[in-house]
Amino acid sequence: MSGLPGTVPHRLTGRRVEPAGPLDLSGTGRATAEAVRFLRECQGLGLGVSWRAAGAPAYDPGLLSHLPPPAAPAAGHDGWAAWRTGHAHGTLYHRRGPDFVTVLDRRERGAAVRLTLDHPALHATFLRLLEPTPVDALDADGREALGLLAAERLVLARGGWAVTLPPRIRRWPVPCTAI
Amino acid sequence: MRVHLVTMPWHPLDLPSLQLGLLNRIVRQARPGDEVTEFHGSLRWAEFLLEHSGGRLGPGEYVEVGSDAIFHGLGDWVFSGVLYDDPGWGLARLRDYAAGRDVFIDTALAMRPYAASFVDACATEVLAAGPDVVGFTTTFMQNVPSLALARELKRRRPELTVVLGGSNCDGPMGHALHRNHPFVDHVVRGEAEYTFPALLRHLDAGTDPTDVPGLCWWDGTVSRANTETRRTVAPADIPSPDYDQWQTALDASPVLEYIHPKLVVEGARGCWWGEKHHCTFCGLNGTAMAFRAKPGERLWTEIDRLVRRHRLLDVVTVDNIIDMAYFRDFLPRVVDSGWDLRLHYEVKSNLTPAQLRLLGDSGTVHIQPGIESLGSRVLDLMDKGVTGARNVRTLRECENHALTCSWNLLYGFPGETAEDYTPVIDQLPALVHLQPPSGAHRIQLERFSPHFTDPGLGFGKRRPAEMYQHVYDLPEDELTDLVYLFDSEPAGIAGPAERRLQEAVAAWRAGHEHSRLLFEEDGAELLVHDRRHGRPPATHRFTGWGAAALRHLEAGRTVSALRRLLTADGYELPGEDLAAWVGRARELGLVFRDGATYVSLPTWGEPVRLSEGAR
Repeated sequence: MSGLPGTVPHRLTGRRVEPAGPLDLSGTGRATAEAVRFLRECQGLGLGVSWRAAGAPAYDPGLLSHLPPPAAPAAGHDGWAAWRTGHAHGTLYHRRGPDFVTVLDRRERGAAVRLTLDHPALHATFLRLLEPTPVDALDADGREALGLLAAERLVLARGGWAVTLPPRIRRWPVPCTAI
Repeated sequence: MRVHLVTMPWHPLDLPSLQLGLLNRIVRQARPGDEVTEFHGSLRWAEFLLEHSGGRLGPGEYVEVGSDAIFHGLGDWVFSGVLYDDPGWGLARLRDYAAGRDVFIDTALAMRPYAASFVDACATEVLAAGPDVVGFTTTFMQNVPSLALARELKRRRPELTVVLGGSNCDGPMGHALHRNHPFVDHVVRGEAEYTFPALLRHLDAGTDPTDVPGLCWWDGTVSRANTETRRTVAPADIPSPDYDQWQTALDASPVLEYIHPKLVVEGARGCWWGEKHHCTFCGLNGTAMAFRAKPGERLWTEIDRLVRRHRLLDVVTVDNIIDMAYFRDFLPRVVDSGWDLRLHYEVKSNLTPAQLRLLGDSGTVHIQPGIESLGSRVLDLMDKGVTGARNVRTLRECENHALTCSWNLLYGFPGETAEDYTPVIDQLPALVHLQPPSGAHRIQLERFSPHFTDPGLGFGKRRPAEMYQHVYDLPEDELTDLVYLFDSEPAGIAGPAERRLQEAVAAWRAGHEHSRLLFEEDGAELLVHDRRHGRPPATHRFTGWGAAALRHLEAGRTVSALRRLLTADGYELPGEDLAAWVGRARELGLVFRDGATYVSLPTWGEPVRLSEGAR
């Protein structure tokens, strides 16, 4: 049991993970939402990931900069170099409390934004979207919450699917105060 | 009665004042008719600096002066000019002091011009609340800022009652603070749970507080100091702090965006180790060493309430040592909550791997285990009750459980010699993959420590630490009663040995981030991957009794104990070979030797390692 979602086939060796194939980041449907969930869970567990990206994103790729970056291609254009150079542990994560979630967002360089999600609809939608979910499956309150979460760049909603972006921190770094 | 509680700089900006939180509840419980308000002067000072310096003096500068410079008195000095009505007071002495010790003082110099107008604004704000009594809490460098404001308050409204309390008032320090500052009406010495309400009753009745233990009060122009009590406050009488007014002040503060607020809780007072063996250098517990802990269930109830109320998941405990019962009745509750708390706790270094695992599982990922040294003789000199091998083991387990370990390497103990340090320093390069100390620091002579109370232990000559010369305008005999830190004759290592220790610790700190020494099980083989700074990368392979020996040495063993264990495992060992084998493992830096004990150094876990302040 790796604790990682089975929707992305992968192999875990020690503290390194390798998905079986390229991950689709195009943002055209469920595959991207599942890829984001997989990378998000790897990040939360502090695992190293060796993976390749497929598809050109139809969204701001900076939304994913807190996740483990893809490997450089052996040849040809490398569209993800900025992700690799800019990646740092703990850039965006969430923590659970009773009836609330806190989010720390350092994706904007030089700023550390702390958010507390304690409104019931926001809290519930944030947690629900940890599982990739069709936008159509949300009720009116859920869609309103999705709009607010997407505006804060806490959810990727593309191709009819939505998924929460900040990993839950399951493993603190040393020193734990660095994030 | 209107009671106004004040905490002045340099209280940490990211923490509520536990003292105010407790006093607020104590007064309201004892005297429901009183109105209790709070003034968070530390927060106000950070706001004042931000605004008036155009952002040049921010919360980072506040920490530099207020927390990092405790041993140089810079925070107090910033306000001394206000207390003594002279903006240039102590400046020349501070410059001399700083030049002699290579201390950076520019930030403190830049802050001082703001201090007078700040104290003026504080007085206006405090008096606007219409208080009958203003109570200051003072710890570390809060003395001079508090005295400066107290003086201004009494100048403007002489009928006001000014009370000081807190750690800085313990024992003779409180009496010296009182008798040298006539604008301080009362000083509460020791724990305030019983005495502060008792004082308020006297103020209400207009009677002399002759029966309030430890209290200092004015009998005409004579400063009286009532005898202190040996009775400590029972845990049941220590309330849960009330942080509502802090939260209100913080929510309205521009400082909020610069800091990461945390909750402060108190599970226990005193030190159960110190009751039996007082660490010779430690004065932290003042006059109240008796260990008293709230039941774990109650501590958890308090945290549960505060987390829900303030929506904060970072919790700092102020306990000087964790109650071992908390491994049974507190930490499991934290685990069961399912919340992602991050706790800071001071613990004793001789915890078991299972206890360290529970700390990690509960989110108690920041610990301060009081390691102090890695040499058993020096640890014996300080009566620490732990060996060097045990301390190394604790450092190793911190890697295995991804625990952040704050510790200092202390030296300068009377009776220590260079020979005590040589074997430790020689082995420090092998420890480079373990968390280094913040630095190697010569111990200070602290009031209330055995070193202080018993001059026979080696610090016979003492005088108030030199830094107080630029903090207080008081004669030396008064300072002797008022201050916490003292200068004394040099003790322990010096010269080349001291330099070597400093250099070795600096090398440890520099080489740590990219160093790893990892175990890996590969079928019947035990691999050790060595990626430590200063050594060529290597993978060592062990099988049979060699692999078993390295595992047994994780607990720290002598060669003869190891031989017994391996024999019990069924291995046949060639006579002389085991000692030679352990010697070779030591040469490879795979085990640490402390006297006759050897302890394995490779770790099973590899935490995500970041450099502090890398962002």
